[in-house]
Amino acid sequence: MIQCKGVHKWFKDLHVLNDINLQVTKGEVLVVCGPSGSGKSTLIRTINKLEPINEGTIIVDGMDLADRKTDINKLRAEVGFVFQQFNLYPHLSVMNNITLAPRKIRKTPRREAEEQAMQLLARVGLAEKHAAYPSQLSGGQQQRVAIARALAMNPRIMLFDEPTSALDPEMIGEVLSVMQDLARSGMTMMVVTHEMGFAREVANRVIFMDAGTILEEAPPAQFFRTPQHDRARQFLNQLLTPMHGASTTAAA
Amino acid sequence: MLSYHFDWSIILSGTYFDWLVSGLKVTLWLSASGILLSFLLGLCVAVMRMSHIAPVRWVAQLFLEVTRNTPLLVQIFFWYFGSYKLLPTDLNDWLNNHNFEFVAALAALTIYTSAFIAEDIRSGVLSIPKEQLEAARSAGFSYLRSMQYIILPQAVRITIPPLVNQFLNLAKNSSLAMTIGVMELTYQARQVESYTFKGFEAFTAATVVYLALSVVITFLVDQYNNRVLKLHKAS
Repeated sequence: MIQCKGVHKWFKDLHVLNDINLQVTKGEVLVVCGPSGSGKSTLIRTINKLEPINEGTIIVDGMDLADRKTDINKLRAEVGFVFQQFNLYPHLSVMNNITLAPRKIRKTPRREAEEQAMQLLARVGLAEKHAAYPSQLSGGQQQRVAIARALAMNPRIMLFDEPTSALDPEMIGEVLSVMQDLARSGMTMMVVTHEMGFAREVANRVIFMDAGTILEEAPPAQFFRTPQHDRARQFLNQLLTPMHGASTTAAA
Repeated sequence: MLSYHFDWSIILSGTYFDWLVSGLKVTLWLSASGILLSFLLGLCVAVMRMSHIAPVRWVAQLFLEVTRNTPLLVQIFFWYFGSYKLLPTDLNDWLNNHNFEFVAALAALTIYTSAFIAEDIRSGVLSIPKEQLEAARSAGFSYLRSMQYIILPQAVRITIPPLVNQFLNLAKNSSLAMTIGVMELTYQARQVESYTFKGFEAFTAATVVYLALSVVITFLVDQYNNRVLKLHKAS
């Protein structure tokens, strides 16, 4: 579903992505982790072309992002994206946040779109909030609405860019459990996260990035038990010190 | 010791009152259609000004420079005395039979005001976090559709106070249309003065009506604003 080959990206002199090669197959959950500044958020943003790349090939759902014939709007409609800061539309109710894209892009009739939205809201546990505005919701609730909004387009792939990093610890669990359900339903997912509990439980594979390169790629059991690189070991140790323990246990 | 005798009765009833009322109607038409059209044109120019396509940006920039940096009166004269030389004869004849003064004044007011509105809306758009555009684009909306459904509705809401100012300016500037013979409120007040020499009464009446018009516009926009803000407090 997702294929990156020899991807390079520079921000001026900074080599933010250095020869990235990866593949995500249908129904797979790939977790990308690494210290901040390692390029993981940039990487996931290249998958739906929010960030352009300088070199290499990215093929998503059979469409080459660099190909002039690829309709990028059409491709983005097939790829759900969940942001760290939720980015709900503040001027629209929860219902309209979810139904806007299906109604305007897919031309789904309003009634049908709203029925589907109610199902999605029930799925993320927020059916009673359909008439609320984003400013009236907690961070965790906003992020669950954002997930429902992305799902409303019936995407073939879901991308998550640090979906719980902006949340208070007690809200992380509710978002992760929605994501876990989604993974169980067979959704193809690529998730940038520090939640190692989620990675261990849900991921099929874990990628560890540092300084723009993929240092390690392994199934979670292997990655957590026997990390190959010093940088990965350091990273895991830091996450597992008591100071950070709260968020990792909440995830598990 | 005043030698002037106030006589309010002449402007409160009879022919002169009717003149003022007919002037007010023209002023209302000119202001209302000017506000609507300049808002729409301002939106278009604002979006063009922020386009990714350089020539589109240049056209918008040129438009803004020319319209903001020339006097409105000159623009009114341009549309009234200048523009018809460029139009085909048939259209000219038709316009001359259909209140060309009004059309020329409306065009000048609309174009002039739209430049200021465009800049206000643009600064509103710039204050919307760029993540909103990313969210819209990542959902599959094109740039223009993102603007239409997500960015502009938010930008216009926070631009309302400066927009009210532009609307008020337009309503007040509509008095300049008298110079090309549009029979609006100021024109009629001048007429009343010419016929009666009651300049104080005539222009006091005009002043009160313009004041009332401004208060009404401010009130209407405030009502709209409050209704909208109640729904979504700025988050």
